Amino acid sequence: MKSLFQFFSSLKLTVVLLAFSMMLIFFGTLDQVQYGIWHTQQLYFESFIAVWAYPEQAAGYDQLFWLRIPMPGGYLLGGLLFINLLAAHFTRFKMTWQKSGIFLGHFGLILLLVSELMTDLLSKESQMPVDEGGRSNYSQSHRANELVLIDRSHPDYDSVHAIPASLLKPGKPIEVPNTPLSIRTVSYYPNATIGRATNGAPTESPATRGAAVKMGIVVTPQPVGYADNDINTATAYVEVFQGEESLGTWLVSNVIDERFPPQMVEAGNSKWEIALRFQRQYYPFEIELIDFSHDKYPGTEIPYNYSSEVKIHHQDSTKNQKALIYMNHPLRYEGLTFYQASFANQDRTSIFQVVRNPGWLLPYISVLLMGLGMCVQFGMHFVKFLRKRQ
Amino acid sequence: MKKLIYIIIFGITASVVLSGLRSFKSDSEYDLESFAELPVQVGGRIKPLDSVARNTLLLLSGRQKVVTAEGTELSPIQWFMDLTMRPEIADNYPIFKIEFPDDLGLAGLAKEGERYYSFNELLPFSEELRKLHSEVDPEPKKRSAYDNQIVDINNGLMRYHRIMHSLHPIGGADRLDKLDEEYQSYVLMITPGMAELRKQQAGQDYDADRLNRFIAFADDYLKLSQTALLRVVPPPAPIDPLEDWKNIGLELLDVMKGDALSPYVTSYASLTMDYRAGNADAFNQKVAELRQRFIADFPNSIGRVHFERLFNAFQPFYIAMQLYVLVFLIVCISWLRWPQELSRCAFWLILLAFGIHTFGLLSRMYIQERYGVFVTNLYSSAVFVGWGAVLLGALIEKFYKNGIGAAMASLVGFCTLIVAHHLSMSGDTMEMMRAVLDSNFWLATHVTVITFGYSAMFLAGALALVFVAFGVFSRKFNKETARSLSAMVYGITCFATLFSLVGTILGGIWADQSWGRFWGWDPKENGALMIVVMGAIFLHARWGGICRERGLMSLAICGNIITAWSWFGTNLLGVGLHSYGFTDSGFYWLLAFWSSQCIFIATALLPWRYWRSEFGQSNYRKQRKRILIAAEDA
Repeated sequence: MKSLFQFFSSLKLTVVLLAFSMMLIFFGTLDQVQYGIWHTQQLYFESFIAVWAYPEQAAGYDQLFWLRIPMPGGYLLGGLLFINLLAAHFTRFKMTWQKSGIFLGHFGLILLLVSELMTDLLSKESQMPVDEGGRSNYSQSHRANELVLIDRSHPDYDSVHAIPASLLKPGKPIEVPNTPLSIRTVSYYPNATIGRATNGAPTESPATRGAAVKMGIVVTPQPVGYADNDINTATAYVEVFQGEESLGTWLVSNVIDERFPPQMVEAGNSKWEIALRFQRQYYPFEIELIDFSHDKYPGTEIPYNYSSEVKIHHQDSTKNQKALIYMNHPLRYEGLTFYQASFANQDRTSIFQVVRNPGWLLPYISVLLMGLGMCVQFGMHFVKFLRKRQ
Repeated sequence: MKKLIYIIIFGITASVVLSGLRSFKSDSEYDLESFAELPVQVGGRIKPLDSVARNTLLLLSGRQKVVTAEGTELSPIQWFMDLTMRPEIADNYPIFKIEFPDDLGLAGLAKEGERYYSFNELLPFSEELRKLHSEVDPEPKKRSAYDNQIVDINNGLMRYHRIMHSLHPIGGADRLDKLDEEYQSYVLMITPGMAELRKQQAGQDYDADRLNRFIAFADDYLKLSQTALLRVVPPPAPIDPLEDWKNIGLELLDVMKGDALSPYVTSYASLTMDYRAGNADAFNQKVAELRQRFIADFPNSIGRVHFERLFNAFQPFYIAMQLYVLVFLIVCISWLRWPQELSRCAFWLILLAFGIHTFGLLSRMYIQERYGVFVTNLYSSAVFVGWGAVLLGALIEKFYKNGIGAAMASLVGFCTLIVAHHLSMSGDTMEMMRAVLDSNFWLATHVTVITFGYSAMFLAGALALVFVAFGVFSRKFNKETARSLSAMVYGITCFATLFSLVGTILGGIWADQSWGRFWGWDPKENGALMIVVMGAIFLHARWGGICRERGLMSLAICGNIITAWSWFGTNLLGVGLHSYGFTDSGFYWLLAFWSSQCIFIATALLPWRYWRSEFGQSNYRKQRKRILIAAEDA
């Protein structure tokens, strides 16, 4: 038991773990060329074990295709470093003024590790496009999808019944809460191309209702893309039931969106719109885009500023406010942060990145502690060094 | 003897510095200095024509001068004047640098041992070059060295052509000698020409001859507006600094809308005619008038434009580079002879070089109007890495006075300025910052601090190289020197770790402010983190007694590898938010640098008995003693 404690608190372990961290970061950087940042992050930094494979595009792949390098992943290394640090402080360190810098710095590091984990687990990012003069009360993910059944019968509001796409497993029946309906996924493609069948070609499609039948749409599954600006066309065939009775099978896809006539499911006197779309998050307020501007340096196409003038209309009107969102100046509102992320539609649509990160303040505190700790520690070394020289 | 040493070194230094100052003024009868300061709007700011001439030459020739076939040397602005005003002569200047002319497969082009070719020499091959160019992969990363050469030549020819057309329409002597007549008859023709055009469109009778002459002008100027590269015509007063300037063709076209023809256009025309006629006095007078007009229109810009020309001529980084070489040589000699005098000289010289280096950095801040911002792109990061290393090296020299600090400072300073010099070939080094990056606060804090971390890391690595080289090869290297060197490396590594950590943290805060996440695993962020981790490994290995001197030195050299990766390697990947400077040949240089560092690490790990130094030999004896004791015990 004691030797185990010694092992976990040893400086040798620290050095070995740090060396592994460096290796992990290095290979995690290399693989971004193939997989993009988002996917690499999951493979390397939000995992317990990561395996680097010799990339196909690299020279000499024919000889080195077998090369695989396994290494501990981010969670494992982070966890071990965390334990190592705590154990070291319990066993070896005595709280003295001379060591105060080390303590501060290490405490900051612990906090940073915790806050990174919190961010990984808790933070949510989505995007909110708003047209000039228009309003929006929701933001959408650009990766996760949801199947929705929307009841638009009430004059004041719509009822949205949403099922995350991750639950759409073929063959599995799912009850749609608060409706007489249930669904069964016939097939689900995380990415696909959708096109109209060329004239005369027979279309083999499980769909029996909706756009797929009317327009003769065919689906070709595609591999999932990971590049940062890749958008995957999630597509599914979904059969809808009322009790035991099948109402038909619809083709839904996140590219069959508002531009198309809605696909309706009818059961008795009730009607639902069925669609697969990017997962939405609704808010108790609307953001109105008053003006978007995109300024360039004179005589060039180099942008020097993007900014959006917005007005927020909250259900609770005391919370209404105006704001200017521009580069490096986000709007923090109701626990959310709105960033000027992008634009579209010939500068008439502004796209905000909406981030909810309850732990956003922690890194600030932790890095302050770390910086301070190192300054204190090295400052003391330096003073000692100067004294010795004199 | 002492005095003589000082005098010789002073003489060399003075000649280096004066060579920069001398190039402020030429001995031409034309007022080249005023012409060089005429303004042009490029990349969002107002620059002197001199900068355009130099950048263009750097892109085409890789150097800032032209040597004609007869051996005469021309300054960039002289070449620019010939290019725009006497193109028939400029077309014979060998300015297109082709590294491997034999490999192009153009029969009859390559001349033995010649890397510079003139426009007229390339002209017969233009059709073939265009064809080769059309076959090149449009994706830059998939191109071979051969493809790149084809692309470079084609782009160079295109740029040459577009710069040539920047001041006025180009034609034969009959046209260039009569530019003012051309503009006059064009302006006079506008009203009747438009009237004929309207008549034609309304289906009425019109004068076909008059209309055709008018349309010929319009066609020609339309083409010119698409060709002319430089925006040399400022908007009429009152001036809005954010307004786009026009190129010459656009200005001529806009006269049709009823605008008056800008005096800048007519002035360039008469300058051209005077220059062609060899009329220096008239030329100088008109340049002075044009300059006065610019001063009146842009009273706030003239100072900057004037300063930029002087900065271009002085070339502070080039002078600093020469001085660093000098310092390095002096220190090397000081280890053999006259240690006291020479190391004193070396110390003062490194301060002088540092001062000139600093002047260059401050000048760039003034020209770009970004005070406190040292680093805006890869080029300026190279300049700043050297500067930081020299600062730290000079401090070490002040404490230890053994020449090592000065030698390594000058080595890192020189190498990074060489890197910067090669990066400057890709165009303007003072371009505007894209919107996200356009934050003086963050550029001045995050980028500066993190780049200073690179400086410290490289300096620590360089000191470790000295340790290994002297330890293995020099008999003089004793325990005392070993201890003081490893103290230096330790101190600098502490610095490096602190700066890299704080810089990385500031970057995280910037990222949180601008796109909502503190950390995104972007390649450049990862690179910075690797430096921090490297520093942490070094410090923990030392504190835990896991590595002794030479182990620590190997780790410090590893730091060089990691820092080079973080600084350049991550940019080569071409992904992420920070990939602002892709250089292809950079990859091979990086590999070469890494291999050299690996060789040093391998040398450091040689068994003690191969170490020739006193330090190494004493370690060897200790090791043997330990083995003997262990054997006896057994």
